[in-house]
Amino acid sequence: MASKLKSSAPKLKSHDKISLVSGGVEKTPTGIRGFDAVLEGGLPKGRTLLITGSTGTGKTVFANEFLYRGIKDYNENGVYVTFEEHPADIIKNVRNFGWDLDSLIKEDKLVFVDASPDETINKEIGDYNLSGLIERIKYAIGKVDAKRIAIDSLSMLFAKFSDKDIVRQVIFNICDELKTLGITSVITSEKTSDTEISLLRTGVEEYVVDGVVELALIPGQQQFLRKMFIKKIRGVGYRSGMAEFDISNKGLEIFPKIEVDRIVSKTDFKNREMFGVKGVDDAMGGGIPQGHMVLISGNTGTGKTLFGMHFIVQGIRDGKNAVYVAMDEPVEQVKKTAREFGFDFDKYEREGKLIFVCPSLIDISNDKLLFQIVNAVNEVGANRVVIDSISSLQSATMDEEAVRQFLIQASGFFKNKGIACVMNYLSGANFGAAKGQLLAELETNLMRLSPIVDGIILLIFVERGQRVKRILNILKMRGSWHSNNIFQYEVNNNGILLGERYEE
Amino acid sequence: MPKECILRLYILGSNAASELALANLRDIIAKETKTIFKLEVIDIRKNPQLAENDKIIAVPTLIRKLPKPIRKIIGDLSDIEKVLLGLDIILQNGK
Repeated sequence: MASKLKSSAPKLKSHDKISLVSGGVEKTPTGIRGFDAVLEGGLPKGRTLLITGSTGTGKTVFANEFLYRGIKDYNENGVYVTFEEHPADIIKNVRNFGWDLDSLIKEDKLVFVDASPDETINKEIGDYNLSGLIERIKYAIGKVDAKRIAIDSLSMLFAKFSDKDIVRQVIFNICDELKTLGITSVITSEKTSDTEISLLRTGVEEYVVDGVVELALIPGQQQFLRKMFIKKIRGVGYRSGMAEFDISNKGLEIFPKIEVDRIVSKTDFKNREMFGVKGVDDAMGGGIPQGHMVLISGNTGTGKTLFGMHFIVQGIRDGKNAVYVAMDEPVEQVKKTAREFGFDFDKYEREGKLIFVCPSLIDISNDKLLFQIVNAVNEVGANRVVIDSISSLQSATMDEEAVRQFLIQASGFFKNKGIACVMNYLSGANFGAAKGQLLAELETNLMRLSPIVDGIILLIFVERGQRVKRILNILKMRGSWHSNNIFQYEVNNNGILLGERYEE
Repeated sequence: MPKECILRLYILGSNAASELALANLRDIIAKETKTIFKLEVIDIRKNPQLAENDKIIAVPTLIRKLPKPIRKIIGDLSDIEKVLLGLDIILQNGK
């Protein structure tokens, strides 16, 4: 079981209907996309997770999805204790995610404990306790034979009563009761100073709950980014630190860090992935070795994108499915360009042989992009990936170091899966080199990426005799013979056409 | 014309605060002769669905069902003046 969790492909599927045991703690998958991968299987069964965060960070969505997935995917009925929103409003709001709570209530799979504010005037006279709440929760649990509970939110409970000690007492008692009953619980709490101090001072975070996850909105360059900080999960392993997440019309999606797998299990120099461009494959010693990552570096207009397209087309001809990461242009434009050369990408897509990944170029993140690529590769069963281009990554808020890290992580994944990858790199340096110094001005950036990639193909413009000529050189092919020649090439309406050896 | 006042007191089993609230309430009912009281005492453990409908969290909780609007008083009702105020009974007498 443990070794199964180590490989990257299966652990990213969030709906495995299994209970996982690690270190004696039984886990229950939440069913929230990506979150179980972060938790390396799921939440500890029968324990309590505290979700904190300020307004609008997604706490209520989290609580809702935790219950909804539990019922739909794992046959675990749920209780929703609401101190804030009225049940009718919650039901209405989550309909946007396609979650039909009404039916679940009718089927006796979900029940609300409604402690939302009402119109009545409340007065406190003399001593009281909050055992009524505990009784109602126990009653609700019994009603649907619940295995999960969501309590949303503690802050509102604190706001209801003047005696905060009584509120703290009831939180302790509820958690205790839930633990005894073996109910897996998610409790939300507004990250405001009052509640936080209240929780901290009494050790709710420290002693009562078994895990703390903070949700946050962090300003990016153009928009807010959603981030999740795993502060503690008692008793089980989890991927440390921070994960980015999204709230889409399907609910939450967390993008766990892809572990860099150092096992180079699937690289083979005998298996070559060809471009299908006459001469180019030969110059590379037969094509790109399985599991290798090749950088195509060239100035604008040299035909980098076209090389990538050839790589896709030849792959599909050879029965190898592909993923195209379109960062420079919108997918429709890529397809349109491809059509000009007689490549029908629409058809490949329809036939399930090609998947496009088109990340937003604003506030792009390593983890999210890699997660999207991994998902696409798994979905289509890809042997080939084209990333057009790495330079777009670099210019889209990711700094150089982030790009390097992305490449290292991607390279680990590709090698592990035996995927050949072509990635384009816009280089301004290789232009119009002087006679005899065609390769003189390689960019330092490019050279910094060199140790990570397995191969580099240089595309260069040279200005000779009132004409701009295109020349190509296989600069590097790790572990493989390759031609050292400089070739002239042309772009015509069939694509790239490699010419003779270029001599001056 | 005596006013009608329908009260419901939520208790949980037999704890001190619940007992005290009930005793205090009976005291008030005995003293306040111009109002006709109807009191229902409900043990949450025996009737949790009622507690759910009335959104009871604290124990004990007294609800004035009628006259409208509905009012809730939580606690052992140890300050009778405040309870009368909370139930709006003094105002009723004044009319």
